Amino acid sequence: MPNIIHYRSKCIGCNICYEMMPSTWRMSKKDGKATLLKAEQKRQTSVLQIDTNLIEEAKKVANACPVKIIKVNG
Amino acid sequence: MKNKIELLAPVGSFESLHAAIQAGANAIYFGVEQLNMRAKSINSFMLDDLAAIQALCIPKNISTYITLNTVMYEHDMQLLKAILKEVKKHKITAVIASDFSVMEYCKQLQIPLHISTQANVSNIESVKFFSTFSDAVVLARELTLKQVKQITDEIKRKKIKGVSGQLMRIEIFIHGALCMAISGKCYLSLHSQNASANRGACTQNCRHAYKVTDIETNEELVIDNEYIMSPKDLCTIDIIDQIIESGVSILKIEGRGKGPEYVYTVTKTYQEAITAVEEKEYTKEKIDKWKTELEKVYNRGFWEGYYLGRKLGEWTLNPGSMATEKKVYIGKGKKYFSKISVGEFVVETGKVEIGDTIIITSPNFGIVKENIEQLTVNGNNATVAVKGDSITLRCKNKISAKDKIYKLVQS
Repeated sequence: MPNIIHYRSKCIGCNICYEMMPSTWRMSKKDGKATLLKAEQKRQTSVLQIDTNLIEEAKKVANACPVKIIKVNG
Repeated sequence: MKNKIELLAPVGSFESLHAAIQAGANAIYFGVEQLNMRAKSINSFMLDDLAAIQALCIPKNISTYITLNTVMYEHDMQLLKAILKEVKKHKITAVIASDFSVMEYCKQLQIPLHISTQANVSNIESVKFFSTFSDAVVLARELTLKQVKQITDEIKRKKIKGVSGQLMRIEIFIHGALCMAISGKCYLSLHSQNASANRGACTQNCRHAYKVTDIETNEELVIDNEYIMSPKDLCTIDIIDQIIESGVSILKIEGRGKGPEYVYTVTKTYQEAITAVEEKEYTKEKIDKWKTELEKVYNRGFWEGYYLGRKLGEWTLNPGSMATEKKVYIGKGKKYFSKISVGEFVVETGKVEIGDTIIITSPNFGIVKENIEQLTVNGNNATVAVKGDSITLRCKNKISAKDKIYKLVQS
């Protein structure tokens, strides 16, 4: 199944992921970084399984991330 | 000490922090987490490091300034407050900021504040305006020394005092990278790669080479330099007497993203120059010597910026650094034999020979430079060590696995 991987610690809190895909991303008020909603925590990363029809949108977000810490498989 | 010029060094890591202290910095500035203009830098300090930074600086009477100078968004407010709470707790000397939210919180929490160069302060009225929030202002980098002096003179004449009740202090940049955008407010990186320089994610488009093509004819225009947006670095070592004369209190070195050898060399060189001016021993011979030292570490070529009234027009000639020396990674620390003061290192790449000059960088002691006169490889005397070898060197500092060893070579 396709997924999104987020290396959260390197996030600079620019807001673009939330801006582009609010259904999947939130800006954490606690530490100002982006949070991948409903994701599973695996060591340094957050992983979220997504439907095939969301791949393209998710890839656009990954491409827009200024610090390139979002990866989309699928 | 009050009237003495304060030399402010950039630190982006514990290696650089130790290097700045070793080199005689009077103050250091650094960022934590993502709310600083070097957010992308892998070496950024974390909030938990404040205690360790203060533990190193307080005994040496070194002021500590924390940069919180990015554009601030709504979702940053809680983190900002959390950082400021720690800043207050650890008694960091001051915050450097340009966003009004930071100024407001600092006022509420009674944390000393310096106004960042991002605020583009260029006249006395702006200094007066910010005096109700702060104690110092970092002026726009685009001013001439004459304009700087007008501002410092007016502060004294009008007795413009900051929050502390002391006269407002003025800080200016004296060395390091300049960018083509006014006061660092640049959108190039945001346009091309969605990476906002104003959130510390600058991808340095201005440092690339560009061609100019006439779209109608597809003809390439001849330009004398392809680095049409990349200014040379600021260097004021030969006008530092005039800089001091302009009445500024704090002299800032740029370079939180640079290595400890840069921080050490630049800080030490300017500290010597400032002392020479104070002791009336500032000579042409010394300036030449200092300039040669500064050329050894990262630089894009030098000019004196806008201080003497020159227009921007001194462009970089190469894509990267023009440093006359470069450091080549050799390996890392392994063990320390404290009884005999010997450190063991593993060579991971390249080779080391007798006669080489090496530097050891460490988050525990900064930077040490040495000439290799004797070499022990895998326990035996030798003249050269290669990849995979273990070497031992005399070293008065405790070596750990976090330490790195580099060879210095002429570029």
